[in-house]
Amino acid sequence: MEQNQILTGYQVSLREVQEKDLPLLRQWRNDTEIRQFMVSQTEITEEQQSAWFRKVSRDPSQQHFMISYKDQDIGSVNIQSRELGKPLSQAKIIEPGLYIGEAKYRNNIIAFSPTLLINDYCFESLKCQKLVAKVKSNNQAALNYNLKLGYQIVKPGDLIEISLNFDDYQRDSKALKALLSRTPRKHRE
Amino acid sequence: MNNQERIKQAFSDSLAIPLEKVSDDLAYNSIPEWDSTAHMILIAELENLFNVMLDTDDIIDMSSVAKAKEILAKYEIEFDA
Repeated sequence: MEQNQILTGYQVSLREVQEKDLPLLRQWRNDTEIRQFMVSQTEITEEQQSAWFRKVSRDPSQQHFMISYKDQDIGSVNIQSRELGKPLSQAKIIEPGLYIGEAKYRNNIIAFSPTLLINDYCFESLKCQKLVAKVKSNNQAALNYNLKLGYQIVKPGDLIEISLNFDDYQRDSKALKALLSRTPRKHRE
Repeated sequence: MNNQERIKQAFSDSLAIPLEKVSDDLAYNSIPEWDSTAHMILIAELENLFNVMLDTDDIIDMSSVAKAKEILAKYEIEFDA
């Protein structure tokens, strides 16, 4: 895996999580607003997080990124191979996860940008065939958000399983991509 | 119709909500009708109506009716009461 990888597009950038990011990530992760929609809702300690970071830093089957908008870290996105033992570069099925930590950007259209960027990366660079995700049934906002991007419900339940193929993603994200890719005014003048 | 009335009508048409529901503090995602799809329709409607081309920062910042007026004012669209 390439070290310190940076992805840019749709007005945001994604850079791989570094040790210095851990306090902010922990603060977001333990925020009740965010935690309520996590599969595991227990608070994480500094020690647990350090152990987690040591593990994921060496694991080619997952990548964790900080989301930056206008030079501010606003959230985190991650991808994990859904095929046991396969690194992301060989995985046909990948599961992305995202949260916006900064409250002012949670109910904002910018929340689509990191998802578009990571989805492009998964389909176009990593060449995966399908994205899958699980959404808690009480998280209607996340479900609506994913359905807008072309995800289909595969299995309803307390934990709703959804999946997205490349064709559906291309079709349903086109307008949103165009909207979030306009040239800044200062570059047009 | 003045610009206050025009923008109110644009929000009402784009979000498919009654005019009475359009107030300055109406915000993105605060009602089911103002989702990402409606946001795209709204942007196109405002651009046509006021003959402007918004950039992405404006589209992201346009998180409420009040903010929309503030952004359009940068394009010399006035909203005097």
